[in-house]
Amino acid sequence: MDPMFDSELRDAFLAEAGDLVQRLGDQLIGLEASPRDSELLNAVFRAFHTVKGGAGFLAVEPMVQLCHHAEDLLNVARIGQLLIDAERMDALLEALDLLNDMLAALAGGQSMAMPPQGLLDRLSPAGRGGQAPKPIAMPVMPPPGDGPIDDAEFEALLDSLYGGGAPGAPAASPAPGGSISDDEFESLLDNLHGKGSAPGASEPPKSPSSPHAISDDEFEALLDNLHGKGAAPGAVHAAPSPTSSPAPAAPASRQAAPPENTVRVDTARLDALVHRAGELVLVRNRLISLAARHGDETLALAAAELDRVADALQTAVLGMRMQPVGRLFQRFPRIVRDLSRQLGKEVELVQEGEGTDLDRSLVEALADPMVHLIRNALDHGLEMPEERERAGKSRKGKVTLSASQRGERIVITVADDGRGMNPEVLRRKAVEKGVIDDAQAARLNENECYELIFRPGFSTAATVSDISGRGVGMDVVKTRVAELGGTLQVRSQLGRGSTLELAVPLTMAIQRVLMVRVGARLLALPLSNVEEVFELAPGQRQWLDGRVVAAHRGRALALADLGGWVGVDGAPGSHVVVLHIGHLRLGCLVHAVLGREDVMVKPLGPLFEGVPAVAGATVTGDGRLALVMDLAGLSASDGQLLPSLRISA
Amino acid sequence: MKILVVDDFSTMRRIVRNLLVELGFSNPLIQEADDGESALAMLRTNAFDMVVTDWNMPNMTGIDLLRAIRAEPALKGLPVLMVTAENNRDQIIAAAQAGVNGYIVKPFTAATLQEKLTKIFERLAASGATA
Repeated sequence: MDPMFDSELRDAFLAEAGDLVQRLGDQLIGLEASPRDSELLNAVFRAFHTVKGGAGFLAVEPMVQLCHHAEDLLNVARIGQLLIDAERMDALLEALDLLNDMLAALAGGQSMAMPPQGLLDRLSPAGRGGQAPKPIAMPVMPPPGDGPIDDAEFEALLDSLYGGGAPGAPAASPAPGGSISDDEFESLLDNLHGKGSAPGASEPPKSPSSPHAISDDEFEALLDNLHGKGAAPGAVHAAPSPTSSPAPAAPASRQAAPPENTVRVDTARLDALVHRAGELVLVRNRLISLAARHGDETLALAAAELDRVADALQTAVLGMRMQPVGRLFQRFPRIVRDLSRQLGKEVELVQEGEGTDLDRSLVEALADPMVHLIRNALDHGLEMPEERERAGKSRKGKVTLSASQRGERIVITVADDGRGMNPEVLRRKAVEKGVIDDAQAARLNENECYELIFRPGFSTAATVSDISGRGVGMDVVKTRVAELGGTLQVRSQLGRGSTLELAVPLTMAIQRVLMVRVGARLLALPLSNVEEVFELAPGQRQWLDGRVVAAHRGRALALADLGGWVGVDGAPGSHVVVLHIGHLRLGCLVHAVLGREDVMVKPLGPLFEGVPAVAGATVTGDGRLALVMDLAGLSASDGQLLPSLRISA
Repeated sequence: MKILVVDDFSTMRRIVRNLLVELGFSNPLIQEADDGESALAMLRTNAFDMVVTDWNMPNMTGIDLLRAIRAEPALKGLPVLMVTAENNRDQIIAAAQAGVNGYIVKPFTAATLQEKLTKIFERLAASGATA
């Protein structure tokens, strides 16, 4: 439809409009809290307005229509003639959702339907029967004249203002023998303002009473009248002539286009860069190890230099992938708002530490688990307003999202001040549902009772609600977090609320691992899962409930033989690496612990796809291959260890 | 012909630039600003021959930019083409009163832009002749 509709322009629009729309969600929620905030109203209005403008050029009519209606409503609100109440906010948020869908459709090259009339009606300022806004009182501009203005009118208007000259030009006094006579000018004014009424000095010219007060022909005649037929354009301001555009007056470099502080980069290119930087790290590792072996001082110096540069590069490149966790958080106000309306609960959402940086891939990967935790807090954690009042709490429940960096990990918590969890109830439910037996239940301490919520098949809700019961349990959340190399823990206090704490490694691209040797094989264990390392003392190995355990720190630590898993024959090693995998603590027996290393994980390719517990491979400093383990894969979905890990002896 | 394109939406600046180039204007001579304030700063330091500005922008809107231009002796003769989203009579009358040279409603084609520019320059020529 539009000759300029090229994919490049579309991509630019999608990126820019996407940003606007993303902010829009937050802004709308903010607007609901303070519907009179004029700055916010303006920003929201402008966002719809801007997207509409761009969509117009791309000839995406459904998007234009949708934005136009939202913009209309906001415009009436903006001039203070309407308050955005909850129902109008519902409509606006629905419009936002639809707009997001449309942007996705545009990106995917799919066709899109016009927005449903029902939504457009609800967006209409007069949408709810008889609540039409009062006519806008315009003290300055007399007849509001909703009709569009056409070119002829505009030209006539300019004429009436400047007498045929250009604004800012020297006052066009009717030259003798010039272009316009007093009579002609009078008739023009009559034409514009009706006979007799003249635009006073303090009174602006009134707009023509009908959109077609002047026809195009009349206007042409008028122009002729003004300029004289065939009047040559003056020499001062020549009409633009493409073929004779003047040479650059000054070097364009003096002040180039406004400073662009950011550049959009395709994430694939960013990932490629991270990849290359990762390879450099590997070469660096090899070089350092070579230099150490040869004892060559100059080589060692160069290697040390490379070490420093590669480190800085790695940090910088990884930094580029970082995004503030606020990007993850920003979708939650909307979810909380919708959910609390649906549940009939009053909720205040508090966010802390939004500026904490997180790897981009984690921002995306954590979105679903976080949504689930928040749903859970609202649905199960918080009480109904009346129940809260009876318990002596404020009607409004509080959910706090906070993020912070602790060493190599990012910790995100979802805390509610709701009813908290009762360990006894959890214990009983778990037994009822057959998750554990009576004996196991009796052995659980308070914290372990809370951990029961992460077991498959466990749900404390008496009825599966629409909110949390979407076939996804907390166990799935925990598994997903574990896949990301993270942990999920729960604390609770009866009557005071619960806190779920999610910890994930800072970055996914380069993993900090503990290199261990099992037989002749090297294994890289993600350091974020490693709790400690110790050497087994004689007699520390024991049998308990048919399993091999080690008495460690006053508790029984289940032992597993990594040698059995990688197919190394012979006796298991005596070094124990204590790993936490989801809610499981496991002591892995290895032959040697070699030390920490930063590695870049390379996928193994389709042949090895689906091999449990293998994340990929990496090249070590001395050029050997090591398998990088995905520890979440060591235990099956039922929490049982893989059979090959069992120690037979 | 040095043209300043003012819009807070970079996609829109790109569109206007493309259209101007399509009409034969020199690409390197087209510069961009993302709101009225930065536009005004650029106009004060560099000589431009025309401004094409959006109406609705944060910080300083198009109409405020227009008023600022008309209020500044060194800039007041600068032709200003206002880009609006609506063919709204009140808005356009206000813009005309503030001294706009022309307006154009989004979305527009190169041909429409040409038409608008021609009108502006015709008028400028006329006022040049009478000056």
